[in-house]
Amino acid sequence: MALPRLSRSFTGLLVETSYLIHQRTFSVSPVAAAIQKLTRVRVVDNSSLGNTPYHRSPRVIHVYTKNGVGKVGDKVLLAIKGQKKKALIVGHKMPGECMTPRFDSNNVVLIEDNGNPTGTRIKVPIPAQLRKMEGDYSKVLAIASSFV
Amino acid sequence: MRVKIMNVLCRSRKLVSSVFRSNILVDQTQVFGSWLSKARCSSLCQNLPQHFTANLASCQHRHHAASFRSHFHTRRCFSDRNEGRNSTSTGVFEEKSHEIDDNSFLSQSPLETFNLDVLVSLLRQENAVDLCVIKIPEHIKYTEYFIVVSGVSPRHLRAMALYAIKVYKYLKKDGDPNVKIEGKDAEDWLCIDFGNMVVHFMMPEIREVYELEKLWTLRGFDEQLRSMPDETLPEDFMFDVETTK
Repeated sequence: MALPRLSRSFTGLLVETSYLIHQRTFSVSPVAAAIQKLTRVRVVDNSSLGNTPYHRSPRVIHVYTKNGVGKVGDKVLLAIKGQKKKALIVGHKMPGECMTPRFDSNNVVLIEDNGNPTGTRIKVPIPAQLRKMEGDYSKVLAIASSFV
Repeated sequence: MRVKIMNVLCRSRKLVSSVFRSNILVDQTQVFGSWLSKARCSSLCQNLPQHFTANLASCQHRHHAASFRSHFHTRRCFSDRNEGRNSTSTGVFEEKSHEIDDNSFLSQSPLETFNLDVLVSLLRQENAVDLCVIKIPEHIKYTEYFIVVSGVSPRHLRAMALYAIKVYKYLKKDGDPNVKIEGKDAEDWLCIDFGNMVVHFMMPEIREVYELEKLWTLRGFDEQLRSMPDETLPEDFMFDVETTK
């Protein structure tokens, strides 16, 4: 991961022996879009379906919005372990509105067809703006352990 | 004895029952099942100042010396705990029935807002099973009170939820937002979010599965949270910019 950069800086050290190595003092993140079809997502609840390892990571196969873009609070259809499961997006890598949290991974909570969450606890922080949004989010907020 | 059928608005309007106190014995009288029950009252209550007499003046009661209880708001003796407070009542509820004339409605007194007391009393009146009220500490900026109730059947849950909404709509002022029932598709778990209170209506089986009371009283020390394995980054999680291209 960081090896190419490390090796470059090492060669710099050896050859120049100066501390004028170009080091960033800020973090850089890649361009991130919101969640769409075929994005790999991270299931953050404690359901068995979301936590048992599989050779393919869970992917979005359909986004239930007018455009195919999913933001926080949208329902999506996932393909997990060879089965289809609905899920709710609780965080994505794309920066959202002002004063809303941005996550380092696209987080998703599994949901049944009737809206009940499949897992019983969520360790990952959940954005508090879910409460104000239109939709059935109180159940997911009730099993969350921390809010952002 | 003449039994007067109270119309629904009347009953929702005059929700007068006191909140259960854990250290006060309550007489358990006849089961208050339907609205056509006889007027009975238990003797224990807390009489309250001003609006009590106002209510008395407005309502007539015919054959019984009914003692009215009205809403009270602030004074409550709960056993305080660190994280929250729990008041569980399984089947203990107070009577509130009395005979009211249809045309004796009062204009809404300024103290009748839809607060916790009103909600708890209406849940008791609806034969809610295992009522559990948890006070959420201030630093968790979700809500003030977290209430979990069980019901006898899915229809019972739905009826309780609809009744709560009805009372809320009656008692709300113009500035309050409308409240909707979430989880209408699920038959075993409904919930309503009134800004400062959240109520969850669950069947007993699903209540055992989720154990919301444990989570909201123990917060970080909950058993299910502790038994979850620690999070590790997945193998294909890439943090560095350069390797993504």
